[in-house]
Amino acid sequence: MKDQHQLTVQEQLSQVFGSYKAEWLKEQLYELFTEPAYFPELKTTRSCVLIGGRGTGKTTVLRGLSYKGQYALRQTKDEDITSWKHFGIYYRVNTNHVTAFNGELTDDEWIPLFSHYVNLLLCDLLLEFVEWFELRSNLRVEFSKTDIGRFASSLHLPACKTHGEIRIALTDAKIAFEAYINNVVDADRPPLSMQAAPIDLLCSIIQKFKSFEGTQFFFLVDEYENLLDYQQKVFNTLVKHASDRYCFKIGVKELGQRIRATLNPHEQLVHPADYARIDIQEKLEGDVFRKFAVSVCKSRLDRIEQNGERLVADLESAFENLDEDQEALKLGIKNLSEPVRERLSRISQTTSLENETMANMTPLEIYFVHFWAESQKKPELQVLREASSSPQSWKTRFLNYKHSLLYTIRRKKAGIRKYYCGWDTLTRLSGGNIRYFLELVDQCLVKQYREDGKLELPISAETQTKVAQDVGNMNLSELEGLSVNGAQLTKMVLSLGRVFQVMASDAAGHTPEVNQFHLCQDDAPNQLDNDQSVKKLIDSAVMHLALIRLRGNKPTGVGDTKDYVYMLHPIFSALFVVSLRKKRKVPLSDEDIFGLVNSPQKTINGILKRSERSQTSDDLPEQLTLFKRFYDANPQ
Amino acid sequence: MPIHNRPSFTREFESVDLFRPSRGSVYVSGCSVEDRSNHVSEWDETIEEVSFVGVLNTTASQIEYRTSSESTRSQLQLRSSKQIAGFWGAFESANRIYIDVTGLRHHVWAALLRGALLTRKCVIAVYVEPGDYRPSLTPTDNEIFDLSERIEGISPLPGFARLRDSGDNTCFIPLLGFEGTRTAYLISKLEPPGNKIVPVVGVPGFRPEHPFSAYIGNRNVLTTTKAWKKIRYAQANCPFDLYYNLEEIQKQYPGHVLKIAPIGTKPHAIGSVLYAIANPDHVELVYDHPIRKAERTAGTGRLLTYNISSLVGQ
Repeated sequence: MKDQHQLTVQEQLSQVFGSYKAEWLKEQLYELFTEPAYFPELKTTRSCVLIGGRGTGKTTVLRGLSYKGQYALRQTKDEDITSWKHFGIYYRVNTNHVTAFNGELTDDEWIPLFSHYVNLLLCDLLLEFVEWFELRSNLRVEFSKTDIGRFASSLHLPACKTHGEIRIALTDAKIAFEAYINNVVDADRPPLSMQAAPIDLLCSIIQKFKSFEGTQFFFLVDEYENLLDYQQKVFNTLVKHASDRYCFKIGVKELGQRIRATLNPHEQLVHPADYARIDIQEKLEGDVFRKFAVSVCKSRLDRIEQNGERLVADLESAFENLDEDQEALKLGIKNLSEPVRERLSRISQTTSLENETMANMTPLEIYFVHFWAESQKKPELQVLREASSSPQSWKTRFLNYKHSLLYTIRRKKAGIRKYYCGWDTLTRLSGGNIRYFLELVDQCLVKQYREDGKLELPISAETQTKVAQDVGNMNLSELEGLSVNGAQLTKMVLSLGRVFQVMASDAAGHTPEVNQFHLCQDDAPNQLDNDQSVKKLIDSAVMHLALIRLRGNKPTGVGDTKDYVYMLHPIFSALFVVSLRKKRKVPLSDEDIFGLVNSPQKTINGILKRSERSQTSDDLPEQLTLFKRFYDANPQ
Repeated sequence: MPIHNRPSFTREFESVDLFRPSRGSVYVSGCSVEDRSNHVSEWDETIEEVSFVGVLNTTASQIEYRTSSESTRSQLQLRSSKQIAGFWGAFESANRIYIDVTGLRHHVWAALLRGALLTRKCVIAVYVEPGDYRPSLTPTDNEIFDLSERIEGISPLPGFARLRDSGDNTCFIPLLGFEGTRTAYLISKLEPPGNKIVPVVGVPGFRPEHPFSAYIGNRNVLTTTKAWKKIRYAQANCPFDLYYNLEEIQKQYPGHVLKIAPIGTKPHAIGSVLYAIANPDHVELVYDHPIRKAERTAGTGRLLTYNISSLVGQ
C-alpha cells in the first residue's frame, strides 16, 4: 500500500472524503471524528434520544461514544481505561433479525420472546466488553460462583464457572432460540427470562469489580426506527425503568420514534422526565452547523498534501462566491437589461430625474423594470416613473423580488440557469446534513482537480453549480433504495421539483420564490390503501430526507401532518433550479400528492394551472433531460 | 477443482412442451401474474399418475393449496416443521418431488424445498424462463425494467432466520438482478463493511444483453460502494454454478458470515438457499419480499430442471 506522500491528490481526497457514511469509514472513523457541540449532552448519565436524518452523524457520534470509540478518541494508555466513568455498548438494530419476531403470533405473544432476545443480546455485548476490558487493562474481572450461578439462572443457561463459559452458553442459547423462532408455530417454547432482569443482574455483578465501581454503562442503540412498533414498546420500557447502573442513548431518524407507549398501558415514555431529547437539526442550526462543518472538513483536508504543502489553507475563500448582482451578470443579464435601457433612453418624455434614476440602476434593477411592467401589464416608462418618484417603496419591492429574478434570466436556455456557489450556499444546500456537506466539498475538489490536473483555487462558480446538480441527482437516485416506498418518494421529488422549477422560472405576475407546500384538507376520498396513506408517504419522505418539515403558522398538534410546511430538501435545489431559501408556500391536497406519484404529468399540469402557469418541454433544465420520459409519460 | 469442471445437475428443455414430470411423482407449483407459470394447469388435466399440488394463496407465513385428487383446500404454516413434514408425508408413495419455483414466491418454495430435502426422495426444482422482461414506462436512473410494484421490506425467509450477530466479520453478497433500487435498499439497511461486498452477476444471462442490464440497473450502488471491483459471475440459470461460487467466496473470507441477498434470478436464489441449508452457521439470507407487477414479463422461454438431490448427495 502506498504511503500518504505517494498518493495523488485525488487518491488522498478519496481516502478522507470518499466514504461519507460512518459505517464505511471503519478505523478511520475515530481518526476523523469531530466532536459536535451537543456531544457533552450525550455523555451525561441520563438516557437520551438522538434524533436526526440520515447523514447527520448519529452513527458516528454513537460509535464515538462506544468503548472502542472512546479508546481510540482519547488515545489513552491501556491502564487508563480503569478510570473511565462510563462505557458505551454499541448495538445497531438489525432489521433482518428483529423482523423474525413477526407474524403467526400476536404482539402480546411476541413481546416476551422479543424481550428474552434483547436480554440475550445485551448481556452478550456486556460480556464481550468485559473480555475487551481484560485484554486492554491486563486485569482479570472475576465473577463469584454465586454471581455466575445467579446470572446463568436468570437466562436459564446451564451451570458455568467463568464469564468465558457464560459467553459460550449464551451463544448456544441464541442458536437454540433461533431454532425455536424458525419453528415458532409448533416447537415447544423455551423458558424465557424476565424483561431486563438479566441485564440488571449482570451490570450489578460487573460493577462489583473495583474498576467499575461508580461507573455506568451506556447502551447505544442505533437505528431504533428499524424496530417494529411493539418492539419500540419493549425498548421504551427498558429506557423508562433503567436502573442507575445503565442508561440508553438511542439514535433514531426523524419520525422514527413512532411509539411512546411502554409495556405498561398506564405509562408513556416522556421527555424530559424519562430521557433527554437531542434533535441534531436544532442543535446544529445556522452558525453552529457552519462552524461544525468547517471543523469536520478541516480535519480531513489537513491530511492532504499537494507538492508538500497543505492543500487548502483557507476553506471558506476556496469556493468562489457571487452576490446577486455578480451572478446576474454571469447569467447574462445585460442581454436582457440593455434593450430595456435602450428603449427607455429613446423615449423623449423622460425627465432628468428619471434618467438619473435609470443611470444609477444595476442591470438587474433595469431588468426588474421590464419584469414589473410585464407582471403589472403597465408600460416600462410608467414603472420607471414610479421608481423615480417613490424610490423607497421601489427599493423594497426590488429587494423582495431580487433573488427570484435570477431564476428567470436564463429561462428556456441551455446550460447553467442559476448558480449555486460559495461556502454559505454549500452549507445551506446540505441542509445541516454533514454527509451531504462533505459530499459537496469532496466532489468540488475532485472535479476541479480532474479538470485542471491540479487544484487551482478558488473553485469556480460553474464547478460548484455542476457539482451541486450532480450531488442532487445522485441523492435522488439513492432515494429509491432507502425505504420500501423509495420509488414513490423518487417520483414525488421529481414531480414536486418540476412544479417548483416551473414556478421559479415563470415568476412574472406571481408570488416570488414559492418553494414550499402545506397539506390542505381535501374532501376527496383517499385513494391510497391504508398502508400507503399520504401521511405515511410524507413521513417517510421526511425520514429519508426527500422533504424537510418546518413548523407551520397554525397551532399544532404533535404529529399532525397538516400543521407542518414542507419543502424539498435543499440538496435538490440545484437539480431543479429552485430557491434553497425557506420562502413561500402553496396548498396541496392529499389527492395532489397521490397524483404527483401516480400520474405525474396530469397532476403537475393541474397544480401549475391553478396559478395560470404551464410547462413546456423546452423549459426543462439540461440536467433534468435524463428524466424527460418521466415527465412525458402519461399513464392516463 | 475449478468451477467449470464441477458437475452441473441441470437439464434444459427448449420449450415447456418438451418436458413432462415423471410418473409417480408429486409436482408442486403456483400460479403467478406471469404467463410463464401457466403451463401446469394444462398438465394437470392431461397427465396421469402425477400428483399435482397447486399453491393458490400465500401470505407471509402461510399457504393455501389444493391437490389434484382433492377438491378441498388446505392450509400450511411455513414456520412449522411438523406441518411441512406432514405436507410431504401425504405423498409418501411419490418417487420424486418436483418443486416448480416459477410461480412461487421465494418464501414459499424455500420453506418447501428445505422440507422436501428431509424426505430423502429425489428432489428436482423446475424453472421456466420468461420470454422477455417488460421495460419500465417511467424509468428513473436505476429502474430499467418495471418488475416490482413495491417491496414489503426485509424479513427472513420462513425457517431461515438467523439471530446471531456477525459484526464486521460479514461479507455481503447481493445476487444482482435488474432492479438496482433493491440492491441499494438492502445496502442502506444492512450497511455492510464497504470493502466486503461481493456482488454476483448472472453470466451468461438468459439473454445476451441481460448482464449489461444488470450492470446498468445497479450502476449507482456499484459505484458508490466500489463493489464493482469485486463482482463475480455465475451462470444466470444455474443454481449449482452459484453454489460453487459461494464456496469460493467463503474460502476468500474465512470465519465470515455470508449475508446473501437472492434478489437476482430464481436459479441463483435456489443456489443460495441450498448453500444456506448446507452452511447454517456461516450464512444469513437477506430478502426484501417484492410484490411483482402484473405482466412484468411476457411469454415463456426454456424450461430447466435442477436435480437438487444430486448436489446434496455429493
